[in-house]
Amino acid sequence: MDWGRLRFFLGEVFTNFTRNAGMQFTAIGTVAVTIVLLGAFLFVRDTIATFGNGVLSQIEIAVYLKDDVDDAKARGLAATFAADPRIASATYVPRRDGLKRMKDVLGSDFDTSLLTANPLPNAYHVRVKDPDLVPAVARSIDRDPRVAKTDYAADTVQKLLKAATILGRAGVALIALLSISAAIVIANTIRLTVFARRREIAIMQLVGATNMYIRLPFIAEGMLAGLLGAALAIGVLTLAAYEVVPKLASTLAFVTFHVNTLTLCFELLAVGAAVGLIASWFSVGRHLRA
Amino acid sequence: MISLRGVSLVYPNGTRALYDVDLEIEKGSFVFLVGHSGTGKSSLLKLLYREELPSSGQVVVDDIRVDTLRRGRVPKLRRNIGVVFQDFKLLSHKTVWENVAFALQVTGTRTKDVMRMVPRSLDLVGLSHKARVFPSELSGGEQQRAAIARALVGNPKILLCDEPTGNLDPSNTTEIMELLQRINIKGTTVVVATHNQAVVDRMRRRVVRLEHGRILHDDERGYYFRGLGQTALLPG
Repeated sequence: MDWGRLRFFLGEVFTNFTRNAGMQFTAIGTVAVTIVLLGAFLFVRDTIATFGNGVLSQIEIAVYLKDDVDDAKARGLAATFAADPRIASATYVPRRDGLKRMKDVLGSDFDTSLLTANPLPNAYHVRVKDPDLVPAVARSIDRDPRVAKTDYAADTVQKLLKAATILGRAGVALIALLSISAAIVIANTIRLTVFARRREIAIMQLVGATNMYIRLPFIAEGMLAGLLGAALAIGVLTLAAYEVVPKLASTLAFVTFHVNTLTLCFELLAVGAAVGLIASWFSVGRHLRA
Repeated sequence: MISLRGVSLVYPNGTRALYDVDLEIEKGSFVFLVGHSGTGKSSLLKLLYREELPSSGQVVVDDIRVDTLRRGRVPKLRRNIGVVFQDFKLLSHKTVWENVAFALQVTGTRTKDVMRMVPRSLDLVGLSHKARVFPSELSGGEQQRAAIARALVGNPKILLCDEPTGNLDPSNTTEIMELLQRINIKGTTVVVATHNQAVVDRMRRRVVRLEHGRILHDDERGYYFRGLGQTALLPG
């Protein structure tokens, strides 16, 4: 390793960076705001997903069996359910238990003395591993000759899934727009630095420096701005995670915070560096071609 | 070493800088390009280090076809050509040493070689004692010598000078011309574009005179103006 060359390179980057301190702060700030919003969005999406999955995982398919299916035949269905990899659990509810449950749920509102016979069929309560698969599983159970009817909260499931998809798309669009604006600010900052250093660049080109070599300090500078912005954002997000979220959680029961923090930090830093890299690459490239 | 064949240069704004120029410059020679401002001296030099591309014709420098050279190959060409300007083009925030070293550092030279080559170049131009000084603390002649040290530090085969004495007083001008002569004696091909008649007439080297983008005359051991019979060509 040639330390002299490294020192020269870092010196050039540092000089670049400090020369336009004001603009650099603007660039860093924009990246930070973008990434804080990205972090907030990830948190909201995560919370809704957790909440939604909690609801969805509780959705059961009620499988009502035909009247001529007696206990013994009905228990045979358990093996069919067990063989289906999509099904998490299947609980057999014989008609007498069903009636008992109904009484438990409805209490005194439900007067069984009026009944001459148990009107309920034998049934299964089936839970599905992946909430997305509820409709499909219900359809396939429906095809079994022993099954009279399946029932599940179809509307709720579909609406939740739709909401999650729309939210995801809106979030991606928002983040894309913010990233573009951050990139534009960085690109403008780099353009100012390029302008401030046009004499150096002219001399570099004159003495035969390659375009890649001329580009490198500016790209390092853009990445540095991106990284610093991301680091600032991580600071803000960490503060939010430890100060704001616990307060929210105490009022709204479903708010939880269980993001893999270290991975997320690396991801956010990578986003910052990438935005800086792309912005400075194009910004300098335009100058070098001119 | 340098060869131009049927070279014309028209700038995008329509200005014709050079018309059908043929010129051969041998290795190790010393050539003056003369003529008053706007006759195409600078344009001709720019063609050699590919700052400009000819509109037509062939430009060959050190066996490299410059007019068809791929953009990616330009740095390699320029490492073989040193260029010096009237306004020195030194970086004001760097010392003389750093300015000279800069040319090596940005072309990826190893630090070990930088430490060896910079003092040699400063010694050649007689600026070793001013290595740690900033350009603003130097006289014009010293600044031009620093610029020459930077142009020569990578051992180019060719040194191009565009009005190198344009900003200097007569004594500094003499100093710089003597330096260029010493550099030429060591084997570097030197091409000097100038409109300084006194310098050209004193040195008695090959003189190529441009007028309105064409070569008017080309003499070994020539004068700025070719003899008294040509006074009709004097400007004004």
